[in-house]
Amino acid sequence: MNIVGRRKLWFIISLIVIIPGTISLILWGLKPGIDFTGGQEIEVSGNTNQSEVRAIVAKSEVADITVTTSGNNRLLIRYSNQGRGDSEAIHQAIKANLAAQNIQETAFSSVGPTVSRDITRNALLSVFIASLAIICYIAFAFRKTPPPLSSWSFGVTAIIAVLHDVLLVLGVFSLLGHFFGIQVDSLFVTAILTVIGFSVHDTIVVYDRIRENLRRYNKPFEELVNDSILETFARSINTSLTVIMVLLAFFLFGGESIKFFILALLIGIFSGTYSSIFNAAPLLVVYNNWKIKRSKKGGAKNLKPTKA
Amino acid sequence: MKLRTRLLLILAVILVVIVIDIPREDKVFSAIGLKDTSLKVRQGLDLQGGANLLYQTDLSKTSAEDKQKAVGGVINVIQKRVNPTGTSEVVVQTSGSDKVAISLPGIKDVNQAIALIGKTAQLSFYEVEQNGFPQATDISGKDLDTATTDIDQQSGKPIITFTMKSESVQKFASLTTKINQSGGRLLILLDDQPLFNGSVSSAITDGKGQMQGFKDIKDAQDTTVLLNAGALPVPINLVEQRTVGASLGSESIQKSIIAGAIGLLAVVFFMIAYYRLAGVVASVALVIYTLINLAIFKLSGLTPFPIVLTLAGIAGFILSIGMAVDANILIFERMKEEVRAGSSLQTGLEDGFKRAWTSIRDSNISTLITCFILYEFSFGNSIVKGFAVTLAIGVLVSMFTAITVSKTFMMLLLQTEWASDPKMYRFNSKSNKAKVAKA
Repeated sequence: MNIVGRRKLWFIISLIVIIPGTISLILWGLKPGIDFTGGQEIEVSGNTNQSEVRAIVAKSEVADITVTTSGNNRLLIRYSNQGRGDSEAIHQAIKANLAAQNIQETAFSSVGPTVSRDITRNALLSVFIASLAIICYIAFAFRKTPPPLSSWSFGVTAIIAVLHDVLLVLGVFSLLGHFFGIQVDSLFVTAILTVIGFSVHDTIVVYDRIRENLRRYNKPFEELVNDSILETFARSINTSLTVIMVLLAFFLFGGESIKFFILALLIGIFSGTYSSIFNAAPLLVVYNNWKIKRSKKGGAKNLKPTKA
Repeated sequence: MKLRTRLLLILAVILVVIVIDIPREDKVFSAIGLKDTSLKVRQGLDLQGGANLLYQTDLSKTSAEDKQKAVGGVINVIQKRVNPTGTSEVVVQTSGSDKVAISLPGIKDVNQAIALIGKTAQLSFYEVEQNGFPQATDISGKDLDTATTDIDQQSGKPIITFTMKSESVQKFASLTTKINQSGGRLLILLDDQPLFNGSVSSAITDGKGQMQGFKDIKDAQDTTVLLNAGALPVPINLVEQRTVGASLGSESIQKSIIAGAIGLLAVVFFMIAYYRLAGVVASVALVIYTLINLAIFKLSGLTPFPIVLTLAGIAGFILSIGMAVDANILIFERMKEEVRAGSSLQTGLEDGFKRAWTSIRDSNISTLITCFILYEFSFGNSIVKGFAVTLAIGVLVSMFTAITVSKTFMMLLLQTEWASDPKMYRFNSKSNKAKVAKA
C-alpha cells in the first residue's frame, strides 16, 4: 500500500472535510455558552413544551432567551440578565413561575461577566501554550533523529496535523451551533485540549517508527516514511478503535450533560487518527522534498534523495 | 528468581489495592486509626447533587501585602459559617489569586447558604443614653469568645447566650455598670439589625450575656454561627453559581456506570478477538489498572488533595483506559513483528517491550503536558480540573500496568507449554518462519 505516494488525495480529502466547517466558523463562529458570555442557565424537567416554557421565562424581562431540549423530558433554558438588577431575585421569580406550571428545576448555573472573561482568556491561552509546549517537547524528544530532517520539523508537522483536528472539531461545532443552537462551554475547551493531546500521542507513535527506521535502514525517505506508516497502521487503527468504542458507549448511554463533550472527543480522535497516518507523516515527506528543492539551488548536499 | 519476585510484587499490589477498594462498613479500619469515611471515592456535585459557588473578594481597599491574608481570612470565616462543626464535606478553597470557591455537596437550600455566606456579620455594641441617643462603645464582635443557642426557660423562645473573651470581661463589666447606673439601655446590632435592645438590671462581671428577639430557633442558630465565625475581612461578591439536583446526579452516576461497563466489555471483547491470549493478558491488566485507579481515588481522600470524581473526571478515566490499552497494543504489535521476523516468543516479548517503550513514553508525556496545562488553566472550574487529574493519573498508572503487569503475565504464560504456540496470539499468520518456542 502506497500511502505517501497518494498524499495529494489525502490532503484533498482533509480539505473537503474541513472546508464547510471552516466557512461556518468564519461566517458564524461558535455559539458561546454562559461560561464565555456570562448569564444563567436552568435545566428543568416536567412540561417540555419549548414555546410555553419560553413564554414563562420571558415574563421576567430577561434577554437572549434560548430553550433547547436536553435529553428525555428535560429542557435547558439560558438567558442573560446582566445589568438587570438582582440576578438571584430574577432566578427565584422564574423558578416560582415554572413551578406553578409543574416544571421542576434540576440544575442551575450562573456565571458573572468577570468570570466569563477569565474563562475566555484562559481557554485561548491554554490552547496556545499546549501547542507550543508540545512542539517543544517533540523537538526535544526527537533531538537525536538522524538526517535528513531536523527535530523541529517533526514538531511543526505534528502541530499542523493537530490544527487539522482542532479545525474540524471547531467547524462541526460551529455548524451545530448555527443550525441546532448547540453552545460551547469550558468543557468544550477541555475536549479540544484532549484532542490535541491525543492527536499528538498518535502522531508520535508514527514518528517514533520513522526515527527508528532512519537509524536502521538506508532507504529513500519517502519509502521509509511509507513503510513506517504501514508498520504502525494496525496499532493506530486498533488503539483508536478501542478508544472510540468506549466513547461511543458513553455517547449512547452516558447521560446528557456530557453528550457534546463526548461528541467533540469522538470527532477529534477519529480525525486525529486520520491526520496522524494520512497527513502528519506525508507532510514530513512534503517538507523534505521542499528542502531538497531549495538546497539544490543552493548546492547543499548530504540529503537523501526521494523517489519522484 | 527474578520473575517470581516480580509476580509476588504485583500480587502484593493487587492485594493491597483490593483491600482498599472493597466497600466496607464503618468500623473496619478505625482500629488502625483510619477514618473510614475518607476511604471512599469523593463524588463531584454533578454526581451527587449540590452547589458550587465562586466568590470574588473585593481587595480594592487592601494593601498588596495583606491581600493573601485577607483571602485566607475570608476562607476561614466562610468555612466556619458553612461548616461550623467541621464534619461535613464542604470544601472552601482559593481559586486564582482573589477568588474563593465553595463546594456544598448534597445541600438542599442553596439560597439560605448564600445568605449565610454573604453576611458581613459585624457585631456592634451601643450605649443608649436616656435621651435615646445611641453612643458607640469600644466593644465589638472581636471581644466575643463564644455564642450558643438556647431556649429561654420562661418564655420558651430561642435566645443566644454569649461569653466575652477573658481580656474583654473587664471592658464589658465597666460598660454594663455604667449603663446600669445611668439608667440607659444596651443596644447590640448585627449588621445593623438589633439583636438586643433593653436595660441592664445589674452590672455583668462574669462576661456572660444574652440576646433575644429571633424569629425562630433556625434564625437563632444561624445568628450563632455568624457570631462564632466572626466578620468577613473584606467584602465578597457571588460571581458564579452551579447547582445540580440530587436526582439528576444519581441518574448521571447510573448512566456512567452502564456506559463504562459496556465500553469496557467491548474493549475486552475486541482485544481477545484480535490478540487472543495476549488480549486476555491485556484485559487482566486493564482490570488491575481499574482497581489501582479506584484505590488511588480512595486514598487521595486521606491527603489534603482529595480527587473529586465528576462526570468529566469519569470521561478522563475512560479516555485513559484507551491509553492503557494503547500501550498493550503497541507492545503486542511489536512482538508480532519480531515473531514474524523469526524470533521466538520470548525474545519477541523482550524486544517488543524494549522497542515499544520510546513510543509509549513520548506519546504519554505529550498527554501529560496537556493534562498539566488543563490543570493550570482550569478556568476556575473544578470539573475541568477533575478531568485533568483523572486523565493524568490514568496515564501514569497505565504505563505501570502495561510495562509490569502485562509483561510479567506474558512471561509467565510463555513458561507453559500450551501458551507457547504463536497461534495462540495470531502471531504466525503470514509466515511459518516462527517456530514454536519450547520453554
